[in-house]
Amino acid sequence: MIDIEVFIKTFIVLALFGTAGVGLYGVVAKPHATKKIISLTILGDTVNALAILLGYRYPGGIPPVYTGQPPNEFVGRAVDPLPQALVLTAIVIGMAVNLLIIYIALQTYRLYGTLDTRLIKKLRG
Amino acid sequence: MSGVRKVASAVALLAIVAALSLGAAAGGMGPFFDGIRSLGAFYLSTAPPQIAELVLGPSYRGLSSYSPEVVTSIVWDYRGLDTYFETAVFFLAIIGAVAIYRGIEEPVLRRPASGLSPIVRAVTKFLIPINIAVAASIALHGHLTPGGGFQAGAALAVAPIIVIVVFSRRYLLERGVTKLKALFFRSAGLIGIALVVLIPVIWSVISGEWAWVMQNQWKPGAEAFSYPAYLGGALISGSIWFLNLFEFLAVSFGFTILFLLISIDEDTVRSCMIRGGEECDRY
Repeated sequence: MIDIEVFIKTFIVLALFGTAGVGLYGVVAKPHATKKIISLTILGDTVNALAILLGYRYPGGIPPVYTGQPPNEFVGRAVDPLPQALVLTAIVIGMAVNLLIIYIALQTYRLYGTLDTRLIKKLRG
Repeated sequence: MSGVRKVASAVALLAIVAALSLGAAAGGMGPFFDGIRSLGAFYLSTAPPQIAELVLGPSYRGLSSYSPEVVTSIVWDYRGLDTYFETAVFFLAIIGAVAIYRGIEEPVLRRPASGLSPIVRAVTKFLIPINIAVAASIALHGHLTPGGGFQAGAALAVAPIIVIVVFSRRYLLERGVTKLKALFFRSAGLIGIALVVLIPVIWSVISGEWAWVMQNQWKPGAEAFSYPAYLGGALISGSIWFLNLFEFLAVSFGFTILFLLISIDEDTVRSCMIRGGEECDRY
């Protein structure tokens, strides 16, 4: 008899690892800069989701905002606030850094007329 | 790509997933789905003052951040220096993008901006004030309810990009949302953050008592300085409220600059699509 809860939990974690691997593969192996940027956002979002999952409590997790519960219930049931605090800054900073990368890519395209790294590599002068 | 490289990539991909799974199964990432780490439990039991008083007794105030929102207390109190330097990264990213686009002047308007259909424009005119109100609420209640400066800044940054898509970039510029003004408000937010962080130190130099950088409530060893936890009877959690407000300004106007610079004027796109020409090649 398969425990369906364990199966779903394992499946979620493995799917996140797989998505992170695909993102890493795209950054390394795809020659076009646009696809590299898309892969980078996939990788970043997957790592954020994994961090949130690490702090999650499955049966009976409540948000880490105190609303007047008994203290034992709050500390005993609330999800881990630390990954959430790290991820919320990482999302906004990641968006700013992604925009900077997009600016650089756009400027590269306007100057060289291509974003294919195989062609950019051959440019001289 | 040759066949050997394809196989090697697939094997590497599977090896990464297998290695991560092995690490997670061996407990390298801590417990999944049940229980929290002791650091998280410490934050949960000290950030809200009511719980800290019960857990730690009368000495609780030196460890509490006086905020029922534990995530925001971690962001701006317990791990405040992390967030301070994250803001520095944000500042550098935006300054880098602005520096790449220096000297690219805004094109001159030839005819009034038209935008999408009247229905979309009317709906957007209702939605934008709601968006701004929600963002302000997220920022100003960030120490009480889920939210804070970063989330509110990202929520408000949606407004300029919707206006650019529905109306045009020219509409935003005509209503006074220019790059220079956005840079001014972003810098004001950053200076505000730096001031709130340094006020304990300035106070320490003036009064001769001890105080830490980024101190919110009094800490053991620096009892003399403390931001007010309540203002006129309302809980503002000391420096957290001010830092949320300034980060809100910095993030929202920082993204506004980037969206203003990266978008292309409607007239330019239209004339390029109809006529084409030398100056259109760079788009």
